[in-house]
Amino acid sequence: MVKLTIDGVPITAPKGTLVIEAARQAGIMIPHFCYHPKLKWDANCRMCLVEIERVPKLQTSCSTPVAEGMVVRTATTAVTQAHKSVLEFILANHPLDCPVCDQGGRCDLQDFSHEYTPTTSRFIEVKRIFPKEYFSALIETQMNRCVQCLRCVRYCDEVMDVKALAPAGRGTMTEIKHFTHHELDCEFCGGCVQICPVGAITSRLSMYEYRPWMLKRADTICTYCGDGCQITIQTKENKLIEVNTAHGAGRNNGDLCARGFFGYHASTHPDRLQHPLVRRNGELVQATWEEALGFVAETCIRLKMEHGAEAFAGLIASRCTNEDLYVFQKFMRLAIGTNRIDSSARYGQINGVRALRRVQGTHRWAVTFEDIVAADALLLVGTNITETNPITGLKVKEAVKKRTATLLTVDALVPAVGTISNIANLAAHHFPVHPDRFGHVVLGLIKAVVEDGLVDQALAHRAPAYVQAIGDAVQALSWPALESATGTTSGALREAARIFARAARGVVLVGQGVLRSPGGYGLTTNLLDLLLLTGQHGRPGCGLAPLAEENNDQGAVEMGTVAEYLPGPCDLNDPTARERIAGLWKEELPKGPGRTLTETLEEARTGKVKAMFVVGENPVGSLPHAARAKDALAQLELLVCQELFLTETAALAHVVLPACSYAEKDGSFTNTEGLVQPVRRAIEPIGESRPDWEILSALSVLMGYPIEYGDAKEILKEIRSLIPGYGLLGAGPNPPRPDEAVVSRYLREGYAEDLANRYAATQPTEKRTGHFTLLVTQSLFHSGKFSTRSTGLLEIQNTGVLGLNPADAARLGVTDGDRVRVSNTLGELTAPIKLLERIPEGLAVFPEHFDEEARRLLGVSTDPQTRVPYCKSAQVVIEKL
Amino acid sequence: MPSYEPILTKNMLTPGYTGSLVDYERAGGYQALRKVLGKIAPDDVTAMVIKSGLRGRGGAGFPTGVKWGFLPKDYTGPRYLCCNADESEPGTFKDRQLIERDPHQMLEGMAITCYAIGAETAYIYIRGEFVLGAKILEKALAEARAAGYIGRNILGTGINIEMWLHRGAGAYICGEETALLESLEGKRGLPRVKPPFPATHGLYNKPTVVNNVETLANLPYIVNRGPEWFASIGSPPKSTGTRIFCVSGHVKRPGNYEVPMGITCRELIFEHAGGMRSDKPLKAIIPGGASAAFFTDQHLDVKLDFESVAQAGSMLGSGGVTIMEEGTSMVWAALRLMEFFYHESCGKCTPCREGTSWLVQTMRRIWTRRGRLEDLETLTDLCQNIAGRTVCAFGDAAIAPITSTLKHWRHEYEELIRTAEAAGSAELVMPATRH
Repeated sequence: MVKLTIDGVPITAPKGTLVIEAARQAGIMIPHFCYHPKLKWDANCRMCLVEIERVPKLQTSCSTPVAEGMVVRTATTAVTQAHKSVLEFILANHPLDCPVCDQGGRCDLQDFSHEYTPTTSRFIEVKRIFPKEYFSALIETQMNRCVQCLRCVRYCDEVMDVKALAPAGRGTMTEIKHFTHHELDCEFCGGCVQICPVGAITSRLSMYEYRPWMLKRADTICTYCGDGCQITIQTKENKLIEVNTAHGAGRNNGDLCARGFFGYHASTHPDRLQHPLVRRNGELVQATWEEALGFVAETCIRLKMEHGAEAFAGLIASRCTNEDLYVFQKFMRLAIGTNRIDSSARYGQINGVRALRRVQGTHRWAVTFEDIVAADALLLVGTNITETNPITGLKVKEAVKKRTATLLTVDALVPAVGTISNIANLAAHHFPVHPDRFGHVVLGLIKAVVEDGLVDQALAHRAPAYVQAIGDAVQALSWPALESATGTTSGALREAARIFARAARGVVLVGQGVLRSPGGYGLTTNLLDLLLLTGQHGRPGCGLAPLAEENNDQGAVEMGTVAEYLPGPCDLNDPTARERIAGLWKEELPKGPGRTLTETLEEARTGKVKAMFVVGENPVGSLPHAARAKDALAQLELLVCQELFLTETAALAHVVLPACSYAEKDGSFTNTEGLVQPVRRAIEPIGESRPDWEILSALSVLMGYPIEYGDAKEILKEIRSLIPGYGLLGAGPNPPRPDEAVVSRYLREGYAEDLANRYAATQPTEKRTGHFTLLVTQSLFHSGKFSTRSTGLLEIQNTGVLGLNPADAARLGVTDGDRVRVSNTLGELTAPIKLLERIPEGLAVFPEHFDEEARRLLGVSTDPQTRVPYCKSAQVVIEKL
Repeated sequence: MPSYEPILTKNMLTPGYTGSLVDYERAGGYQALRKVLGKIAPDDVTAMVIKSGLRGRGGAGFPTGVKWGFLPKDYTGPRYLCCNADESEPGTFKDRQLIERDPHQMLEGMAITCYAIGAETAYIYIRGEFVLGAKILEKALAEARAAGYIGRNILGTGINIEMWLHRGAGAYICGEETALLESLEGKRGLPRVKPPFPATHGLYNKPTVVNNVETLANLPYIVNRGPEWFASIGSPPKSTGTRIFCVSGHVKRPGNYEVPMGITCRELIFEHAGGMRSDKPLKAIIPGGASAAFFTDQHLDVKLDFESVAQAGSMLGSGGVTIMEEGTSMVWAALRLMEFFYHESCGKCTPCREGTSWLVQTMRRIWTRRGRLEDLETLTDLCQNIAGRTVCAFGDAAIAPITSTLKHWRHEYEELIRTAEAAGSAELVMPATRH
């Protein structure tokens, strides 16, 4: 620690702290433009000059580290004169158009000018004027206001790794531009808008609509992925005006992605359901809440009398709040009396949770975002993290770019410079393999660990049989076979294994490419084996992190809205848990079995299930046609949907109940790292819509099993009494330690049951010539189908475009924008194409958000252990149209 | 006229000398390199240069050997030498001659430097406009490489020194050593905040020495004839050796003159450059390139060495000496230089970026008889607000023409303003700024 005084105040700060930061911590604000704690200092605005004793010239406090005994003065005549003069220079060419500037009212230049400068100027020359240029549909630039601090340029490079912006021109003619002549094409994270200290870069979504002091703020959590970013929704007269986030706020630390920053208009889309709808004479017609709920309650009671509670099933989206999820499963278990419950966590999240529970006895990560940043080696498997979990991706970027961690990546995409960042570009070792061969790379890494003596000695002592069994299993694999399957060399695999094993802190991130693909559960378990073998398991800061796709995937599992778990999550048949829950609920739990999504649909098809509650979930719109969800649901005698929009599934319903979006309700979400965070209402409910839990609660009363709560807080209180980890909201997560008893059991016997399967290097299916692998994946600019109602995001991407490698496209004789026919035995689609160098040859990538047609081509297979439906890829033929 | 023994210009002054490798070798070239490589310890070479008193010829005049000594001793990674051939200071044209007419002299100096500092790679950052110079250097590099003076295993000593030529793209600021490094790395050429200095964090963040062409060209002679000999030339102990002064302006024989440091302005102008071109008396001298403050006829007896010029309130700088005769408007002269600095300000620091634009506009207004008396106060104020508040020395350089002309010739400004007021033309509107 270093001792110094600033303005007479004695301060102690860690070595290396910059004077400006030390001052800030002591409550002394030194005015500045170009400095930002996220960025490497640049010292270009010269605003933060201070006097330092025994240094002749004024020094920029943003670039001067504290030194022992340093005496700093920030308010002397010389310093104030310097502040005045820098502001006078900046204002010389500034247009002073505050009355029409969106930044007016929260502008650093405005604030400092009021503090330091007179109201008149002695500048009588001609102001520099940049001709107005169109920048982008979402981002407006007004370069006359720019103070050339380059924060936007530096943010885009240092934090985002996108490098879309650059200063062009020289001297006073310097302006911020993007590199091309067409409009801006980048990640649209909005970071430049947020970090601009003046009004030079603003959002076009809310241009001229507000003054900052008119806005009502609500700090809540974004709903577009599992990262759980804190956002501040700003509203005016119940209208959504803008979303931003404060530096240092939330798990995102003030960073957002395009979905979070520009995607907020989905909640107030004109298509939102405003009233309950009831099917009369085959048509869905508007009804009152009393009519609709009365009809549902009546029909439920009748069907329960006729067919029993086991004829009911429920499905809920993990976009809902924990409170919704909790009340939903309680409603299904008590008011209806069935365990046939599942949620969209089934699509993949459950693979990660099941593997973690099996090997280490936790259902949450044993690491946090901070551990990712602090890791020395990071292994990313099957994740294009930029597009699926952008903010977790920023943690990886920070680890690599700022803390020089070594990054190892296994993914289908290849390193290439593009308009959006590509995590593979930062990798020390990237293993580009076909999506069905991620497992082969992991087996290769484990084989290298075993053969090169990298197995943790402590583990070898603790579990010799386990190490032996894994050793035998990987010895049985041949290097040539692994090399030919992965297209890499054993040398590269050995090198990567060595880096990972020798790292002081190793973290594995596993993404949708694994969790949602055949063999996902086994491969996730193998990655835990890799951590165990290399001694990277169980130590602080090390562990496996399966990435959640939906904002509350984790909460859905913990609330017990999946077939195999009660709230906790506890196993459905765990007698202790059943007793504890029954005691709290003062009601017996149903004894029937749980049923997963695909099983439920099958039972609906066969007529075993007669009635279904579907909350926010859209199986008809998400599963491929091959799953025949529509046929199954059409068989039902009662289908009740609680929805925001009339989705493909809701269109089949007998009753559609309008639900509130996240922007209209209170509650909590549990993010991918297992942190429970508060969701707060920003606007009044649209139309007559009501929060999901409230609808279910009202139904339960009508059905004679009242499950009543005053508000969401009361539900959370009950959740707290039942589920650990739901105490304090919002602070940093306190990750669980692996349960040593469970780890020991796994090492003793748990590993064995499926070892042969997991360690079999299945011969990858020979690729038929002329065939492509079609991958239906998440895009950076959308999330499910919800975001396709957001005007902002539609400006960036409004249609399904098939991504192809340029060499493949050349062979097909097509180029950007041409249409192609994609087909296989199941069906066909036509789509325009876009050439992307990050897509390897033989692969075609289509965004799942626009997959109405693409879903025809996909088949479905189900994981034998976790019953996860795998339906994200297909073999197809592509032809020029 | 006293005649002095030229050092750097000796070869090129020899009739028939082409600057080719053969000619250079015939004149004793590359003997110094043979003498040091593997025979004199690198640290001893540095010590020799320190002893010679050689100081940087690019403008700042920092002792060359001392600069080399700042490189970390225990660092095992790569180190670099950058030859600053981005000669862009208005009124300066010595490096260009050295490059075009005797390129091997500087290459030998670079090789010696690389050996002394332990660099295996050297870059020559040459001003983009020096097309001929770049061609000549490429040819010289090829010759030297073929002859084994650069490349791998030089002269069988096992020492590797590679040299590459990099052409700039037309920015004055890239002559500033850290901006040069940024530009060489492929980035926008903006100066870095110092410290850290290039000696520890230079090219690609590695220990780096940046030396001027003329500085490097001196090295073979220091090695060949000894530091004591070099230190005896000029005005020891602080300003040793010769200096090539680039004399331009209203003199009879403008051009490069290599003379020992410490001769007076009077001697340089009237004895070497042939005196004033017409018989008008001398009015002003810029002693060290556009960044140096103006001298008046009162300064004719100032000795041209680092200390004397600094003491008299200017700087020896790059050696560009510009002479102006009576009748030249000093307001116009300052405006002309301001136009240059305004055009070349890189725009990184607020005071320089905005200040040069403001200053140049006010100066134009005064020159076009639309000035006001209070403008002079504004000019003085703005200059004070730029001075010492920027990352690099550009800000300080940019104000020198205005501050020094205001100091010596304030009445010329006042006269223009009085004319303006008398004609009632204090109409302030200006045509849009030319950018």
